[in-house]
Amino acid sequence: MITPLPSPKVLILLLTTVSQLALGELRAPLKPEEMTNGNQTLAPLAALQAQVARNTALLMNAKNKAVATLTWVGKEGYFITKASEVPRLEECTVKWGTAPKAQVREIRRDTRHDIVLGQAIHLPEVPAVSFISSKNLSFGQWIVSPAAGKVLKIGVISAKRREIKGFGAAMGIRMDDKPSSASGVRIIGVAEDSPAAAAGLIAGDLMMELAGEKIRDFRRVNELIFKRQPGEEIEIKYQRNDKLGSLKVRLASRTKVLSNWDGEDFANGGISIRTDNFAEVLQHDLPLNPLDMGGPVLDLKGRAVGINIARVDRITTFALPGELFWPMIQQWIEADRHPPKAQPASVATQKTATATPPTPAAAAKPAVP
Amino acid sequence: MKNALFARLMWMLLHVPGFAFAAGEPDFEPFLKLQDNVQSLLPKVRPAVVAIFTGDGTASGVIMSEDGLILTAAHVAERPGRELRVILEDGTVVQATTLGLDKTTDAALMQLNDTERKWPHVKVSRQVIKAQPGEWCFALGHPGGFDEKRGVVLRVGRIVKQTANSLQTDCVLMGGDSGGPLFDLNGDVIGIHSLIWEGRDENMHVSMAPFLRSWDEMKGSHVIHTWGIGSGGYLGIGTEMNAKGALEVVEVIAGSPSEKAGIKTGDVILSLNGEAITDLPQFTHAVRVRPAGEEVQLRLKNVSAERDVKITLGIRPKEEG
Repeated sequence: MITPLPSPKVLILLLTTVSQLALGELRAPLKPEEMTNGNQTLAPLAALQAQVARNTALLMNAKNKAVATLTWVGKEGYFITKASEVPRLEECTVKWGTAPKAQVREIRRDTRHDIVLGQAIHLPEVPAVSFISSKNLSFGQWIVSPAAGKVLKIGVISAKRREIKGFGAAMGIRMDDKPSSASGVRIIGVAEDSPAAAAGLIAGDLMMELAGEKIRDFRRVNELIFKRQPGEEIEIKYQRNDKLGSLKVRLASRTKVLSNWDGEDFANGGISIRTDNFAEVLQHDLPLNPLDMGGPVLDLKGRAVGINIARVDRITTFALPGELFWPMIQQWIEADRHPPKAQPASVATQKTATATPPTPAAAAKPAVP
Repeated sequence: MKNALFARLMWMLLHVPGFAFAAGEPDFEPFLKLQDNVQSLLPKVRPAVVAIFTGDGTASGVIMSEDGLILTAAHVAERPGRELRVILEDGTVVQATTLGLDKTTDAALMQLNDTERKWPHVKVSRQVIKAQPGEWCFALGHPGGFDEKRGVVLRVGRIVKQTANSLQTDCVLMGGDSGGPLFDLNGDVIGIHSLIWEGRDENMHVSMAPFLRSWDEMKGSHVIHTWGIGSGGYLGIGTEMNAKGALEVVEVIAGSPSEKAGIKTGDVILSLNGEAITDLPQFTHAVRVRPAGEEVQLRLKNVSAERDVKITLGIRPKEEG
């Protein structure tokens, strides 16, 4: 547990002028544009800002809400982003500058690093990014990243690079632990801002089936959830007021759900659904939001050294170092450009950048181990 | 849940012509100079930053003398004479005892129990006035608790505002940072992390003014309830958190605006202008950001009932502080 700095829920506008009795020569408080990430401070980096805007785009979900940032990695529209923020990638569209909205094809997902490779279809040639090793980055070094798909933000490498252990997935429910005579497990509490709450589960719901399996015991529910990864969706059939219903819950990191049971996270804009279980991360202090994950981390020379992978709390964002995923991504792109020859023609046409967009129904999801 | 600052920035970006695709080489010389400056200081100041176990959580502090005096926040120390565990950068655990504190500004001192050892330490800046809006600074601390694999966490930013006893910066803080140091570009301590508001640029630090002003009292384990000269609005009451976690009046100064308004010791302060009061630094801040002459409404509670009191903030008498 941590001792929070007191953070009053009610805000006073701190614009009242203080009567400076003894301090005549005090400068005026900074205006937003004069702050560290204000546009006046960052004006010298305008060229970098333009580069970042070209190299990235926003992924919009089916409801046309921006959910993640992508980084172009191949000129035919290949991109990477954070996998757990886009469980249904092919329902998303790409919003890139003034280009018309583009459909998306999912190529491959890697649950271990939480990265997905996709392709935007029918876009003109895109300026792809090549990642370099992050090994030369030092504690306190400036880095930049895009926010909201276009605004440049600056910050520093703020802690040691390290592995972030995983503690499994959770959906944020308390269950009745008394074995029921009938089937089903009853939910007696739902955590604020949790996957269960987002999916629409409420206290009192009786869960009948999880991922196609009939359930009777709360321990079995824990087992089923625990062996999955944050970001995965799990289907739940439930009973509410004698009516049966069914919904999908997108699991989050257990650490996120537990530390935020009462909705008291200081993250200013929320935190990513998956915040742990990474082989190695770079930690930085850029003021980003969950939808900025998937965007590149660049040094001041404009070289991509990593990809933003988790917004963790008010002061913490994790980035995956380039050397961790770049060789794998390059292999995937190569394999997709030159598919094996022994495929039926109908499939092969879908594998090229100029093919018609696949229907989401026809696109088989890769099985997640 | 849109961040207000962020929204403002977005809006401004849309109103700065030629910003989005300006040509030319980026000019990062000033940034690189700043980076070199901070990176050259880090190895010198990091060993002086400590984590403090408060019993129910962790906070931060910084060693400022060879014989082991630690600066931290009053809401970390809570009261004089508490023996607390302190963790050094390498994970070593040592003991320290809380000395005096100024509950009105959130400043506090502690003493490492082993005074024979030569402790790694940093300097306190005596040029309080130099910590002006626009100056670059950097924050260190243990947000979320001590984590040896992660180490101390750095934030680089600018001073946004200076008041009589505090600094506001855009070095983003969170729980566990309390008591940790804010440094200027000489590597001297200019602030101690105190509290946050919701915005990412609303991070408050105790300036060195209260420490320098009350140094002897704090070293002498005194608890200070009065404020120094040159602050904002003045009520003329001393308050502290009572056992029930409410802010209670422990002293009413004769002739003060509070005495005229009929505030009595034992009254509990529930709200100021409708804003619920949850702790002392927040209450102090709410009073201080208002100039003398402004009328505020306090909701108070005593044994029998709740009542509203209107008070016109006064100017602090010169002889106090």
